[in-house]
Amino acid sequence: MISNKPKTDFTHPIIQSYSRRKILKLAGAGALAYTSSLAAACSNQSSSSTRDVPIKIGVLLPYSGIYATLGDSISAGLEMYLDQLGYRAGGRNVQIVAEDTEMKPDIAQQKARKLIEQDKVDLVAGIVSTGVLYGLREYFHNNKKLLICANAGGNKISRDMKSPYIWRSSFSNWQPNWPLGLWAYNNVGNKVFMSAPDYGAGHNMVDAFAHSFQSAGGTILGKQFTPFPSMGDPAPFITEIRKSNPSMVFCFYSGSAAVAFVKAYDEFGLSKDIPLVCSGFAVEEDVLPAQGSAALGAISGLHWALLLDNETNRKFIDAYKDRTNVDANVFAVQGYDTGRIISHILDEVQGDTSATSRMLESLQDVSFSSPRGPFKLDPKSQNPTQHIYVREVKEIGGKLHNVVIEDLGEFTDPGNNSLG
Amino acid sequence: MNDLIVQSINSIVFSMLLFIMAAGLSLIFGHMNFINLAHGSFYVLGGYIGYTMISKIGSYWMALIIVPILVGLVGAIIEFLFLRRLYGKHRHLEQVLFTIGLALITADIIRSNWGTYVVTMQTPLLLDGSISILDSQFPLYRLAVIGIGLTIAVALWILMQRTRLGIILRAGVFNRNLVSESGINIQAIFTGIFGLGSALAALAGVIGAPLHSLYPGLQFEILVLTLAVVIVGGLGSLQGAFFGSLLIGIADTFGKALLPEISLFLIFALMAIVLLVKPRGLFGAQNS
Repeated sequence: MISNKPKTDFTHPIIQSYSRRKILKLAGAGALAYTSSLAAACSNQSSSSTRDVPIKIGVLLPYSGIYATLGDSISAGLEMYLDQLGYRAGGRNVQIVAEDTEMKPDIAQQKARKLIEQDKVDLVAGIVSTGVLYGLREYFHNNKKLLICANAGGNKISRDMKSPYIWRSSFSNWQPNWPLGLWAYNNVGNKVFMSAPDYGAGHNMVDAFAHSFQSAGGTILGKQFTPFPSMGDPAPFITEIRKSNPSMVFCFYSGSAAVAFVKAYDEFGLSKDIPLVCSGFAVEEDVLPAQGSAALGAISGLHWALLLDNETNRKFIDAYKDRTNVDANVFAVQGYDTGRIISHILDEVQGDTSATSRMLESLQDVSFSSPRGPFKLDPKSQNPTQHIYVREVKEIGGKLHNVVIEDLGEFTDPGNNSLG
Repeated sequence: MNDLIVQSINSIVFSMLLFIMAAGLSLIFGHMNFINLAHGSFYVLGGYIGYTMISKIGSYWMALIIVPILVGLVGAIIEFLFLRRLYGKHRHLEQVLFTIGLALITADIIRSNWGTYVVTMQTPLLLDGSISILDSQFPLYRLAVIGIGLTIAVALWILMQRTRLGIILRAGVFNRNLVSESGINIQAIFTGIFGLGSALAALAGVIGAPLHSLYPGLQFEILVLTLAVVIVGGLGSLQGAFFGSLLIGIADTFGKALLPEISLFLIFALMAIVLLVKPRGLFGAQNS
């Protein structure tokens, strides 16, 4: 369909001087704590003139369709990080080539081929939906091309569909929901009704929550898997939920479906009586303004929150708002961290992107302080080890935000299906 | 039992929204023999323009009247400038290509003007509450949608059955040549029909926005459902649009309530069955 998006010519002098100013500003503020990479970048300064061909990073994201905001946010976060580096890493210029996956596995397949075979990109980042990720797995695995997944959380990619070439900077669907299920049993109620879209991610999230919730002694009154990607009118689902009279509702939705579900949940009067506990995406900052007061009181689990109190996050959210005029969201954080991981890889191999095995090795010891808190890549699940936070939607200074009410600690995907 | 009643009301609310959309599309299909895949674009355009207008002037009701007129004019202008070059018996492919192009352009215009974030239109203050139906809380606005839908159904019925224009329109479905040979300016009528159809789509957009929000990709979702209604009901028939909407609305709601995983499939299964039994739809004209 419509392939738009980002500027690819970053060597333009105006853009360069702009980004240098920005770097100075941000570096001065201490936003860049990448000591090892800085050293590597400096040592390569002399050879950069001979290697002035830019490194190409292919970006595969939905820029149209219901998850377009997710694609835009990841892009903005990634570009912001690269911009802070002046679009340089491993001693070479870095360039982005972005393609719209339209959220469709077949289109994503074509675009991946185009990026790798025609544009000759050195590695690929992006991927919002689990279906698209699973569809691309064979292609990247067989072609030995590195893919950094910046969102799609399908558990299998950390488990039985693992590939040495696919690493994740985001989360596994299991990750935020398993700890939340246990917490919800201890703090909210013991009878739950569950609602999620009928696709890989929806099932993963429900299974993870259900596993810890049931193990703790909770009862599941019913599960509802709704049409995906288009949920249509949510009213029939809400009426079914009320019928089961649960002590809480667990849901996972994202984008427009999250707005429709949460609004209808409130309009039909459920929010007054039945606490809504959800996977954090359902009330994330990208949908919260549209949900408005309907989301008040919703409790969710996620690996980040806008007002999370750490220095990296404070700087990140200010810089992001400066740059885009909107509040950051978890997807932007994942894009930003993806940029950081990519620059780490490129620095480790000093810009030599033909050294695939060394690039993969360098992923084993990625560890830094992310806006989401302490972040490291787990070599076993090839997925982050990160903190999970319980958040509640509250009004702060006239605006709705997710406020962290408890830090549940660090979680790593089990790497198998033993915990849901 | 209570839930059955509440779900029935849910299904009528959704049916009425579909009806307003489908009435416009059915007019265009049936009377102009024109395949318009940009109908969903007029729906979202109505929603987004309504959203902006409400945030500027603060009145939902003003938007409900002004937006359809504006979008209807846009539709009429598009018909006048472009569509009339594409009429003809064997030109459906060109019509499809042109209107898909139009839909893609609209999607990009919306993207650049309103962005990709989900946008919600506030429920009008007057209807921002709920009433109790059999111990269940039911939003007032949803009930009002039923009222608006029925009003429009009656207004359109009067237009088609009780006015000279309606007679010409109905005659045109059966024999277009006869109408133009009777000295009636069929081109002007077409401009009017397309304008009216677009205005109805925009009206549905303003009505639907507080229910379902606005987001990229919505236009194609709504288009597919509307096409299903028009095919089930029969091209060019107001009754067809009405009862087709009810049928699809009921199938959608009860499908979601009872068999959520296959609810979308149920709608198209229903469509296939209707087509097998009545290939021209429930109320389709027998020749055109």
